[in-house]
Amino acid sequence: MSELPNLIPALPEIFLALAGMALLMLGVFRKRDATRQVGHLALAAFAAAAVLALTFGGPRQVTFNGLFITDAFAVFAKLMVFGASAATLILALKWMEQENAARFEFPVLVVFAVLGMCAMISANDFLSLYMGLETQSLALYLIAAYQRDATRSTEAGLKYFVLGALASGLFLYGASLIYGFTGTTNFDSLAQGFEGAETVSPGVVVGLVFIICALAFKVSAVPFHMWTPDVYEGAPTPVTAFFSVAPKVAALALFLRVMSAPFGDLLAQWQQVIVAISVASMMLGGFAAIVQTNIKRLMAYSSIGHVGYALVGLAVGSAEGIGGVLVYMTIYLFMNVGTFAVILSMRANGRLVEGINDLSGLSKNRPVMAAALAVMMFSMAGIPPFAGFFGKFFIFKAAVDAGLIPLAVVGVLTSVVAAFYYLRIVKIIYFDEAGDQFEPMTAQARLVLGIASVFVAVFFLFPLPQIVLAADTAAKALFGG
Amino acid sequence: MTAFVFYLFAALAIASGAMVVTARNPVHSVLFLILTFFNVAGLFILLGAEFVAMIMVIVYVGAVAVLFLFVVMMLDIHAVTLREGFTKILPVGAVVALVLFVELALVFGTWLMAPDLDAVRGAPTPAVGELSNTQAIGAVLYTDYVYLFQLAGIVLLVGMIGSIMLTLRARVGVKRQNPRTQANRPLEDCIEVKKVATGKGV
Amino acid sequence: MTVAIVFLPLLGAILAGLFGRFLGRRGSQILTCLLLAVSALLSIPLLYKVGFGSGPFTVVLLDWIHVGTFNVSWALKVDTLTAVMLFTVTMISALVHIYSIGYMSHDPSVPRFMSYLSLFTFFMLMLVTADNLVQMFFGWEGVGLSSYLLIGFWSDRPSANAAAIKAFVVNRVGDFGFMLGIAGIYLSFDSAHLDTIFAAAPAMAGQSLHLFGMDLPLITTLCLLLFLGAMGKSAQIGLHTWLPDAMEGPTPVSALIHAATMVTAGVFMVARMSPLFELSEAALSTVAFIGATTAIFAATVACTQNDIKKVIAYSTCSQLGYMFFALGVGAYPAAIFHLMTHAFFKAMLFLGAGSVIHAMSDEQDMRRMGGIWKNIKVTYAIMWIGSLSLAGLPVFAGYYSKDMILEAAWGAHSAIGQYAFWMGAAAALLTAFYSWRLLFMTFHGAPRADEKVMAHIHESPLVMLIPLGLLAVGAVFAGMAGYDAFVGEDRMHFWKAALAVVGPDPIEAAHHVGEAVKLLPVVIALVGIGVAYAFYMARPAWPGRLAAMLPGVYRLLLNKWYFDEAYEALFIRPAFALGRILWKQGDVGIIDRLGPDGVSWAARQVARRTARLQSGYVYHYAFAMIIGLAVFVTAYVIGMEG
Repeated sequence: MSELPNLIPALPEIFLALAGMALLMLGVFRKRDATRQVGHLALAAFAAAAVLALTFGGPRQVTFNGLFITDAFAVFAKLMVFGASAATLILALKWMEQENAARFEFPVLVVFAVLGMCAMISANDFLSLYMGLETQSLALYLIAAYQRDATRSTEAGLKYFVLGALASGLFLYGASLIYGFTGTTNFDSLAQGFEGAETVSPGVVVGLVFIICALAFKVSAVPFHMWTPDVYEGAPTPVTAFFSVAPKVAALALFLRVMSAPFGDLLAQWQQVIVAISVASMMLGGFAAIVQTNIKRLMAYSSIGHVGYALVGLAVGSAEGIGGVLVYMTIYLFMNVGTFAVILSMRANGRLVEGINDLSGLSKNRPVMAAALAVMMFSMAGIPPFAGFFGKFFIFKAAVDAGLIPLAVVGVLTSVVAAFYYLRIVKIIYFDEAGDQFEPMTAQARLVLGIASVFVAVFFLFPLPQIVLAADTAAKALFGG
Repeated sequence: MTAFVFYLFAALAIASGAMVVTARNPVHSVLFLILTFFNVAGLFILLGAEFVAMIMVIVYVGAVAVLFLFVVMMLDIHAVTLREGFTKILPVGAVVALVLFVELALVFGTWLMAPDLDAVRGAPTPAVGELSNTQAIGAVLYTDYVYLFQLAGIVLLVGMIGSIMLTLRARVGVKRQNPRTQANRPLEDCIEVKKVATGKGV
Repeated sequence: MTVAIVFLPLLGAILAGLFGRFLGRRGSQILTCLLLAVSALLSIPLLYKVGFGSGPFTVVLLDWIHVGTFNVSWALKVDTLTAVMLFTVTMISALVHIYSIGYMSHDPSVPRFMSYLSLFTFFMLMLVTADNLVQMFFGWEGVGLSSYLLIGFWSDRPSANAAAIKAFVVNRVGDFGFMLGIAGIYLSFDSAHLDTIFAAAPAMAGQSLHLFGMDLPLITTLCLLLFLGAMGKSAQIGLHTWLPDAMEGPTPVSALIHAATMVTAGVFMVARMSPLFELSEAALSTVAFIGATTAIFAATVACTQNDIKKVIAYSTCSQLGYMFFALGVGAYPAAIFHLMTHAFFKAMLFLGAGSVIHAMSDEQDMRRMGGIWKNIKVTYAIMWIGSLSLAGLPVFAGYYSKDMILEAAWGAHSAIGQYAFWMGAAAALLTAFYSWRLLFMTFHGAPRADEKVMAHIHESPLVMLIPLGLLAVGAVFAGMAGYDAFVGEDRMHFWKAALAVVGPDPIEAAHHVGEAVKLLPVVIALVGIGVAYAFYMARPAWPGRLAAMLPGVYRLLLNKWYFDEAYEALFIRPAFALGRILWKQGDVGIIDRLGPDGVSWAARQVARRTARLQSGYVYHYAFAMIIGLAVFVTAYVIGMEG
């Protein structure tokens, strides 16, 4: 009889799994529609899971026979995921009530998706990584197709599913190559094996390339990004909001861990691939967004670009770079959630609109909303003193310090291109003829937008040092510090 | 002898795999898929992995492929129209596939089990003589890999929720049999007795 | 207490500015006036305490900017100089606030106006309480900003907007010098803290600054840069052109900003930096020369202007010139003394002029006034008191301070001192002349306004007259009351170490000049009044004949020595022309075509192509993924082989 594994490090995941099932039961057995209760309890579950993660997560612990790890990095990433999911869930619940599309399965699926993300973040083995990835992905495919009577929504779900399955295939192929050439799937064992190794078997590297491709799909980096605009546009808007933050953070955290922990010593082998992906993403994110007319599609390209910047930090391959990515993603999260709070409130004459031109003259009709959106756009464009500037600053600084100056130059140039379309939105809302007036924002949207814009606007004053410090600690945890 | 069986199964698996994608009739495709599964199961038996082989037959052939067959038959798919784009991208696809194949061949050609990794190798399969394959899996599945087992359960649960969510509709106006109301129906509601005068009709 | 004095106006500005709609017109008026009044009342005991009691002190508010060795804390430095400025600024500002209640009663955006006024006062207080140069610069720019807002307050008038922009731009030129000066000081002293600079200054006296291959004397260069800033803010010759135009703002603004307080910021700054200026003979001489020249120049222009506010504006310019040459000969106390008395009587003149304008239905041209003294007697009396004080007739405040300045100039016994004295004396003659010209043209003679206006003439409401009365008290008694403390027997005790004195005390020397010198200004002023009487009362034909006799001189003066025209020809038109060339040829032709337009065109092309890739077919997407994978693997395999 073997011993029971230490469950303490995995408490947030265990709690979320139980909570998800309990909420499912509640939803099924309640007589009347229980979406609201289930949703609020899901929010409470995220809060509780965050507390658990903070309480028990801190120092590095490995459990479940080496499959599961928790450390400062995992805690940081999980908190981001919880925060992003909670914020988007708040927005989504209200939106769905307005649209008469509320169903209790939605919050339940979000809880399971978050569980999958946590499992990804805490994966210490290719097997657990894959299981987390699938848990998350399956839930995501489902909520993309959530509006089953809308063709666009089901199409988005199906596309995402088919391509996601392909990516999973690539991942499994890569993982099996690595297992075949090394005999293990455990990150610690791999790191130990590669430490100081002079030659690496080509099979390992090819397997790694397959895995990079699969993970690049998950973070929607070029050229594995093709699903993003279609899915973002087709999925219901709150789902898009969710997609653009939580899974992205989780997948990026996973990417960081896989590249740094087991394959950190193979930096020379994978750096060029990441650089190529990063450059391609930054360029595509900058250029393709220019001609978009749908704001959700624009946000899709914008997120591709942002992932490109984040990958610059990964390409650096040092604790400084990883810390930069974490700061960047924290800021990205706030900017995106804030922007989506506005997009979800784009409702004129009782009808949802999502064209960029529908924003024209917003400053005259809804000055506060316009100002907040302008702050978000300035920040996304990386204009000081807004938060977005600091995110880019830390990333580029790390790149320059590591001698990747061409990469930093490309980054700066593409952010100029990207600034074009962000500022175009500012121009549209401030200088164009006023269009139809939007209906007032809901209290929930106001709350989320308010918090996000205050964060983005005063970032340089208050939370900057704390977040940088936390990100630094988290990044060092990946390098055994 | 073993080599002959291996090549037989392998050749059949590849050939039927090719037929899956090229067959004109989707039903034929699914049937070839079943053949492929059988051959792969045979290969697993050759490797001494009888548990995986049996699972292959039971799950993939018994459940998945049969489900496919039902779906394909119900949906009345016109394979020809689906294939319009296929011929267009076939050359490019072939080139890419060839390139990848050559590269992978190169990689396998330089097989080099990293020597430093011997020390860290994961739990190897026990010798067949000591413990049967099924027992070996059973020994680790609920202990070392309990975490993965539970997560797999969650994946299945999510799949279940999803399929119900996407398909279940509470339709109004559907007539269902309710034995209780049937049994309790008063006689007067069912039968009306009329006096009919003879010779006059109703 | 100090904190309250400085921050109460800010509180008023914020409340009236943000909640103006909620407070309403009356509410914001009462609120801002009340806060300012408290601030002003508090400044009296403060002045007493600092001047006659316990002496200077510093209130540290918080550490402000802390970057590397650049360490600036936010502190209020209160010595006698600051206390005098606090007293003057808050007092005048409070009275102007109250006056505005009446003057702006017909304006639609009262809360905004009151908010700006209070904001301006706050920045001015920030400037005078600065304990380091960065903080002073903050206040300095702040008053520039609020002055811009207030000049352009009536933003629907194009002339007001133009004047506001002009004031801002001309001030910018000066600010540039000031900024360079601060940077230079930080570079050489490694600190922006005033006391640290003053302590280290004597040791730096002989050093030189290497710049652009030249060896410049360090202290002199720094002082001249700072003085350039002072020239801009205090409208000294060359950078004075904005001040008369600034009269486009509402009259209370002219009184507060462009007569009593903001324009004295330059004087204050030079006085504050006196330990530095004392080390450079050349810088002091420059200050004195510019000041004396401004004094006479502005006075000549004032004699020919017809707009009542412009006359007073040029007179302000001229009086600021007095203050500067007082500073230039080292008579800092005299300059500050004049600053204070001038604040009272000039604010009063402006507000009196405002009262006239108010009475004449917004008429500002003196040629269309005349003969109205019977209708507005209180205002008439006020203008008399102000003019008497301005001309420096005995008993009135201006007499004490202006005489002191002229005596100090004479007492300096240097070439520059002599120049300053004679220019000052000539300016005094002209001052008396144009003051009485103003009085006679406005109040006496035959009415030249149309009947509708004449029928409408009325005395201003009490809320405007009370501040005028209070200012009149100051204009009469401030000189007498302050003489001993500022420049008399008690001056050493009063000023303590606030103003630097190196070598022989110029004030002491001033007290020992001959009786003739002391008497001369009064005689001159009387002569000026006499001439004005002759020209505008007894023989009204003379001015025209004089102008006809000396057409060149008259036109020169009327056109303000062609300063604006010269600037127009020298700077503005070439700048515009250059701008146009750069715009049409350079920017649009070359940079735009290759730069933004070209790049954005290319970007659009690229964008359109990438968007076309996004076909919507899943198998295209899957294909893209596989190709990407193949490319990466190929790249690796090729790299491995190579």
